[in-house]
Amino acid sequence: MITQDKIDEWIREVEERPASAPNIIRYIARRLSDLTSRNEELLNENIALRLGKKVEEYETRIASLEYQLEILRRQIGSGSAAEAILESAAPAIHSVSLLIYNGLGQILRVELDPAELVETKPLAKFVSDVNVQSFPPRLLVTSTQEELLFVFDSGRVAAAPVTAIPSASQGVLDWEQAFLQEPRGSEELVTILPIAKMTLAELCIQTSRRGYVKKMSGSFFESCLTNSYVGTGTKQKQDKTCSMVFCGKNDLFVMISKEGRSFTMEANKLPITIEPVFRISATDHIVTTFTGRRKPYLLFVTNTGKAVYRDIQWLEQANTFRTQGQPIFSKARRDSGTWIVGSAAVDEKDWGAALAADGSLGLYRVSDLFETGSLGVSEILDFVIYGIESRS
Amino acid sequence: MGLKVGLDFGTSNSGVAVFDGHEVHLLPVDRLNTLPEVVKSILYITRDYKHYIGQEAVELYYRHNVGRLRRFEKQWVGELEYRGSDMYYVRDVYAYVDVLKPGRLMQLIKSALRTGNYPGTQVFERYYTLTDLIAVYLRALKERAETMLAESISGVTLGRPVKFSENMHLDRKAEDTLRQAAYQAGFQQVSFELEPVAAALFYELSLEQPQNVLIFDFGGGTLDITIMRLGDQRNRKVYANNGIGIAGSDFDRTIIEKRLMPHFGKGQAGLDPDLLELVNAVSDWVALPELSTPPIKFKLERAIREGLAPVRLKTLETLIFNDLAFSFYNGVESAKITLSGQGATVIGLQANKMDIWELYTRYQFEQDIREYQVKIREVLLQTVSASGLELEQIDAVVKTGGSSSIPAFSEMLGDIFGPERVKSSDVFSSVTAGLAIRARNG
Repeated sequence: MITQDKIDEWIREVEERPASAPNIIRYIARRLSDLTSRNEELLNENIALRLGKKVEEYETRIASLEYQLEILRRQIGSGSAAEAILESAAPAIHSVSLLIYNGLGQILRVELDPAELVETKPLAKFVSDVNVQSFPPRLLVTSTQEELLFVFDSGRVAAAPVTAIPSASQGVLDWEQAFLQEPRGSEELVTILPIAKMTLAELCIQTSRRGYVKKMSGSFFESCLTNSYVGTGTKQKQDKTCSMVFCGKNDLFVMISKEGRSFTMEANKLPITIEPVFRISATDHIVTTFTGRRKPYLLFVTNTGKAVYRDIQWLEQANTFRTQGQPIFSKARRDSGTWIVGSAAVDEKDWGAALAADGSLGLYRVSDLFETGSLGVSEILDFVIYGIESRS
Repeated sequence: MGLKVGLDFGTSNSGVAVFDGHEVHLLPVDRLNTLPEVVKSILYITRDYKHYIGQEAVELYYRHNVGRLRRFEKQWVGELEYRGSDMYYVRDVYAYVDVLKPGRLMQLIKSALRTGNYPGTQVFERYYTLTDLIAVYLRALKERAETMLAESISGVTLGRPVKFSENMHLDRKAEDTLRQAAYQAGFQQVSFELEPVAAALFYELSLEQPQNVLIFDFGGGTLDITIMRLGDQRNRKVYANNGIGIAGSDFDRTIIEKRLMPHFGKGQAGLDPDLLELVNAVSDWVALPELSTPPIKFKLERAIREGLAPVRLKTLETLIFNDLAFSFYNGVESAKITLSGQGATVIGLQANKMDIWELYTRYQFEQDIREYQVKIREVLLQTVSASGLELEQIDAVVKTGGSSSIPAFSEMLGDIFGPERVKSSDVFSSVTAGLAIRARNG
C-alpha cells in the first residue's frame, strides 16, 4: 500500500534530513527487487496454467469433484429431473482399491477392476506374518480416485491420494513391500478414511474405542485438515481413536462393539464435545461405526466366520447417552469366544472383503453371505463392505 | 539483617542494583539479553505453572508457540443470571479454549497499575491477580539477584513514577499493589523512591559542585519530571515533581493505529461492525491473542470467501492465528528505536499469506506523535514554573529512560534549555542505580 501521501512524506524526510535518502532508496530498491521476483513467479505460474502444465495436477482434483458429483446424484435420489441432468455427468469408477494397513503405518494396496467383481473368490495371500508387532491389520475398500485421510492416535492427520500407494504384486502380500505413512514418535495409525465426499457431509463423527463420541461440523473439520490436527477424541489415558465417519445431520449413526452390542442414534443428537455415549464393559471396545437408513439390511461378521444379517429396522435408537446398547447375539455365544470383526449397512448387491488369520484375503458377494450365513473361513481378522453396485 | 537492593520494575525493562557506599553495581540479571543488566518486563507462565522472565521468557514463548497445533474445546466458564420483574433464569456461558496452548505471555504488566481497572487474569486453571503477576515477576528477579550475590536479599527500594494516575485514590492503590507484590515476592522491608529522584541520586555521584538539575525520565509507561538541587547531600532539595501518562507504549500504539491498521482492513468499505471491531483490536496487545477462537476464524473466513477485502482480512487472520502478535508488537517497537539512530526504517512482517511492508521515516513518526509532543512540552514548562526557578537557573537537564533517546524530545529540550545543558544519563539503568543508592543510604 504505497499511496501518494506516503511518497510525499518520504520526500519530506529527505528534504529535512538528506542523510536519510540512501537508506530510503535502499529499502525501496530491496522491496522492488523482492516484488519483481514474486511477480516473475506468478507470471511463470500463469504461463504454466495456459500451457496446460497444471493439467495433471487438476485432473486429480477433477476426479475428486466427479466423485462428489456422483454422491450428490445419489443424495438427490432417482426420478428427479436433476438426476437426468447429473446422470450424463456421473463418472464411471475405473478401479477399486483394497487397502490393508496396520498401526505402524504400513499400507498395502490391491487394485481391482469392478468388472472382476462377479463372484466370491480368494484374492491374495500374505507371504509374511499378517500381524506385525501385535498390530492387527485392518481393511478399507475405496475408489482408486479417492483422497485418503490418515488418522493417528495423537490426533494428527495427513492426506494423500490412493494412487500415491503403489499397487501390490498380483496375489502376493508382504508387509516388507508396504508403503509407509510414517507415524511420528510413538504414534499409531488408527484409521484411514476416504475424504472426497467430505465437503458434501454436514457432520464428521469421531469415535473412540471406549465409546466416546464427538461430532464436528463440516466447516470446522476443514480447518482441522488445514492444521493437520483433528484431535484424539478421547478423554481417558488408556483410550484411543477408533474411527471417523462423514454423514448428514439426519443419518442414523451406528456403533458396533467387539462383544456384540450396538448403539444407534440420529447423528444430529450426538454431542459436540467428547462424551461417553455408549456404556460398554471393561473388556469390550468399539470395532466399527457406520451410518444407516439408506440400506435395507445390517450385516455382522464374527471372528468365527459367521455372517448374520438383520433388517435395518431392527436397530433401536438410543434416547440417552451412556446406554448399554442392543445385544447382537446371546451371552452364551459371547462366552464361547465369538466376537464381531466387521459390520455395515448393506444391500444384496454389495461386496465384502475379509482378511483371515492365515493371511488369505477374499472377496465375498453379500447375497452369497445372506444365503450361506458363513464366509467359510475359520478365523477372521477384519471384514469390510464396498457398495460397488451403485457406482458402476 | 540481609542485604538491601534497588529494584526498578519498569513498564518495558527492569533491573536490580546494589550500592557498596562507593560504587553502584548493576547486576547482570539477564545473561541472554544484549544488555545483561537490563531484563525485559515480560512474564511467561507455562501450563505447569512455571514462571520465566526476560529474554528466557521470550525465547521459550517462540519455541513453544511458533507453528504449534491448536485444539479448541468448548468449555463451561460460568453462568449468567437474568432477573426481571416476573422472571428469573440462569444461562450457562461457554468459551472456546485452546487446550494445547503451552503457556501465556504477559508484557507491559506495570501499565495495568496506571488504569486500576485490571483485576487479574485466568491462566489455565489458576487465577492470578495483578498483585500475583507482579509478585511472580519480582520473585524471579529476586532469586536471580540472590544467586548472583550468593546472599539473601531482605529489603528493597522500588521505584515508582511521580504519578501512577492523576486520580489520588488510584495512585495510592497502585503503590499499595506494588508494595503487596514485593512482600509476596519475599522482601521483608519495602520502601519506595520516585524514579526521577532515583535517577537524580545517580547523577549526583558525578557532580563536583551543587547544581539545579531537571531530570527527564521518559520510559515505557510514563514521563516523570523532577527538578532538584543536587551536589550537596545536606542541602538536597526537591523543587518540583510532575508526571504524565505518556510514554513509549503510547507511541507504539500510535504507529500501529496510524500506519499499520490499514494492512488489516482499516478504512476498507463494506466491513461490518463485527469485523471492524476485530481490525481495531490489532492495536490492543492484551485483546489480540484472545481472539484466536473458532467462531472468529469462521467469521474471518466467511468474509474472505465473500470477497470482503480478502488480502487484508487474510493478513489479520494470519496475525491472530499464528501467534504473531508478540513478533508484531516487537517489530513496531524495534522500528521506533531504530528511528532514534537513523531517518528511515521498514516495519515488516512476513509469514504464510502475510506480507506487511511499511517504510517508515522519522518525519512520519514525528508527525504521528505531534499531539503528544505538544502535551509534553506543556507539562515540562508547567513543572519549571512550579519549581519557582527560571529556565536560566536550571544548570543541567538529565535525560534517562528508553524514550528519552527519541530525537524529537532531545531537540525539544535543546530548544528550551540550550543543547549544551542537555545531558544523557544511563538510559536503562540510572533509575536502578539511584534506587540502590537510596536502598543503602535510606
